[in-house]
Amino acid sequence: MRIGSYELKLEKRLTLAGWQAAIISILAIIFALALFSFLFILAKINPLSAYRQIFAYAFANPYGLPLTINRFIFLLLCTCAFIIPFRAGLWNIGMTGQLYSGALGVFAVLFAFGGKALPPPHLSPALLIPLMLIAAALGGAGLAAIAGFLKGKFNVNEIVVTMMLNFITFWLVAEMIKEGGPFMNPGGRSESFDVPPSLYAPLIMGIPFTIFLALGLAVLLYYMFAKTKIGYQIKAYGHSPAAARYAGISTFMIPLLVFVLGGVVAGLAGYHYFAAVPGVYKIARNYAYFGDLAFYGIICGLISLGNPLAAIPVALLFGGLTTGGRFVQGKLNMGFGVDYALLGVLMITLVAFQFFYRFRLILRPSKGS
Amino acid sequence: MQKGLLEGIKRGETVLEARGITKRFPGVVANDHIDFEIRAGEIHAVLGENGAGKTTLMNILFGLLQPDEGEVYIGGKRVEFRSPLDAIELGIGMVHQHRKLVPAHTAIENIVLGHPRAGRILNLKRAEDEVKELCERYGFKIDLRAKVWQLSEGEKQMVEILKALYRGAEVLILDEPTSALTPPETKKLLASIEAMAEDELAIIPFITHKLPVVLAISDRVTVLRRGKVMDCLEIECATENSLAKSMVGREVIFRVERTKVEKGKPILQVENLSAFNDKGFLALNGVSFSIHEGEIFGLAGISGNGQHELAEVLAGLRQAAGGQVILEGKDITHASSLERWHKRIGYIPPERIEVGTIGDFSLVENIAMNFYFDDDFSHRGILDYRKIRQLTEEIVSEYGVAAPSPDTKAKNLSGGNLQRLILARVLSRQPRLLIANLPTQGLDVGATEFVQNKLMEAKKEKAGILLISEDLDEILSLSDWVAPIYEGKFMGIIPGEEARRESVGAMMAGSKEQVDCSR
Repeated sequence: MRIGSYELKLEKRLTLAGWQAAIISILAIIFALALFSFLFILAKINPLSAYRQIFAYAFANPYGLPLTINRFIFLLLCTCAFIIPFRAGLWNIGMTGQLYSGALGVFAVLFAFGGKALPPPHLSPALLIPLMLIAAALGGAGLAAIAGFLKGKFNVNEIVVTMMLNFITFWLVAEMIKEGGPFMNPGGRSESFDVPPSLYAPLIMGIPFTIFLALGLAVLLYYMFAKTKIGYQIKAYGHSPAAARYAGISTFMIPLLVFVLGGVVAGLAGYHYFAAVPGVYKIARNYAYFGDLAFYGIICGLISLGNPLAAIPVALLFGGLTTGGRFVQGKLNMGFGVDYALLGVLMITLVAFQFFYRFRLILRPSKGS
Repeated sequence: MQKGLLEGIKRGETVLEARGITKRFPGVVANDHIDFEIRAGEIHAVLGENGAGKTTLMNILFGLLQPDEGEVYIGGKRVEFRSPLDAIELGIGMVHQHRKLVPAHTAIENIVLGHPRAGRILNLKRAEDEVKELCERYGFKIDLRAKVWQLSEGEKQMVEILKALYRGAEVLILDEPTSALTPPETKKLLASIEAMAEDELAIIPFITHKLPVVLAISDRVTVLRRGKVMDCLEIECATENSLAKSMVGREVIFRVERTKVEKGKPILQVENLSAFNDKGFLALNGVSFSIHEGEIFGLAGISGNGQHELAEVLAGLRQAAGGQVILEGKDITHASSLERWHKRIGYIPPERIEVGTIGDFSLVENIAMNFYFDDDFSHRGILDYRKIRQLTEEIVSEYGVAAPSPDTKAKNLSGGNLQRLILARVLSRQPRLLIANLPTQGLDVGATEFVQNKLMEAKKEKAGILLISEDLDEILSLSDWVAPIYEGKFMGIIPGEEARRESVGAMMAGSKEQVDCSR
């Protein structure tokens, strides 16, 4: 394309450094926010002040920030749960089911140790919190393993299986917490019984310890994919199962393994939201909302191109925007769904800007006629 | 675009001309001021090794790429193609090496697909009559109502040629026209090409190797090397040696000589082995043979006769349906592919891009494919990437893999370089048994010679080698034993010195008896 005496050309990139990808993503975010400001303008709201309020609430408000951080932990875990199978070329659409299943594991442990009793008994956190974590991990892993096994053994499409398991687990949770269900709240209300206060997750400056779990996992996964033998095998399978088989990598074990690992992480997300976030401490009536939130793990995973370290800022941004967006919607009397619309625009822009991961625009003086 | 630039052009007049074509890609000049010209009724071959710039030139002539510099003229008028559609409109047709047909449709449906006259309502009957006429004129024997997936490679190619002709092509670009064909199919195709040239079509076959084909049909030949025109000769002035020399840039020995190596212990014994193919049919039907140290066992056959299944069973990638495989005295019939790598079986797969390498992996990561499981290269589950990189650097320089750095992605390598990489990786494990499945297929003269030499070196180092090739000359010149395979069975096992081209060829086609060639 010619612009005056300049020529605009697309050129294929051969390599993409991490910082280049980061700059492209930041530009995408700015572009998305600019695009979305039309909506504010249409609603006769100054976009700059709207964005200031969104970010101020999400990242600098004593009520908003903890909300953001808890969402961030949850999202980061869900993103990692998506990324592990994703690096093996497999799509985990079942973080929702896996986190429910993890939460069921947590409450099964509490139930077994008599945590349902009223008044809440004092139980040893040193014994039970690790047990709850293990149960969450096993719950998530057990459910995800079904998809991994079917994929590895019979090449059954993992998207369909994980998706269907979501529904099954959703109703399983309903069955467990409804009136008459073993995990029902003594007050009814279609909620689970409360976690006994003695087993509330330890807080560090008001933040559940699960933040270290999530950040640690992200770093660990990065290291696993970059350096370890198993990480290499997963990547090889992800790029080409046929080539992986040629290299002696088991095409049964890899799908099973990545789903089990993904399930473990998703199960921990279930522990985090239903047993570690201050003010929740139960499988709340609106548990479906957190199940839906888990789907943002897919988006975050795709935007960060399967890199667990890149997933950290992405999950933080999305966590912040879900809380901030919801807040301004109420404050500015805007219609329902502003937060979703904002996230939607952001997602599309981020994905569209990935075009620049593969190509770059070059402006140079045109030559010839 | 103006149509009809080629109307009224007579035999011998220039139809297509390219002047000073230059195309740069990041890091390479793929075409460096190339001049090329073709006349009506002429067959003008373009010859060059992998990576010489043939594909780029071809894509420019067909409008898939735009040149950075240079001009294209058709019938003396300057043209600029924005897309292949422009080129097709002006009478250029292209037959790709990788078929671009709809397998579930019939031949005639594929031929009319995209034809401007096809419109909304198909008149297949009329089209069929017209195409039949083309078939008769050029000697294509094909059932136009057969589904494409049922057709052989040669027939699919006919469909592509017919498609281009039916679209009104006056200049026909053929990409590696004989590479996937059996010898009889090749012969028929060449006759058809000559018939088309008689009809004043201009034909440009692009060819990497198979110099005899070039000499047999071309009127002129242009040789490319590293993006430049090295030679443009009337065919009378060319010989196989001179062409190869200007293509590769040095003298080429056409046949690597079989070296005799002292026969050693048996390495592989196969008893009555059978296996199913992907469709569930018995493709390998009870073969027995053995390979000793320092021996090359050559499997001659046309693709699809069970040789691929045999290779995969031996490599542990396919289950045996029956029979036994014994490696150095141990039964490995049911061993996994990983165990076989550990037992020093090396497999060179024919699918270089899908199986042999991973395109998105760097060279280092690709080399790791055959080493990640070795204790030397990993410590407590952590891969020693430094050591693998070192190995990669050694291999790249020893085997002459042309790549900017060990971090280059494999997908940026040409076919010949990929094969060098695979060969290097497998051979540096010093395999006891080497299974080389179509190791030189699609490679240019230089790379073929290199691969054959490396096989000979492995033989001298006492490896037992199973060589599978569709190139009968390659089998005959390299093998100590020749086994023609037909429909999953060996038609015999003949000592290399006694194997004759005619008799082996007949056995590949299913004849059990040795044909007496003296008659």
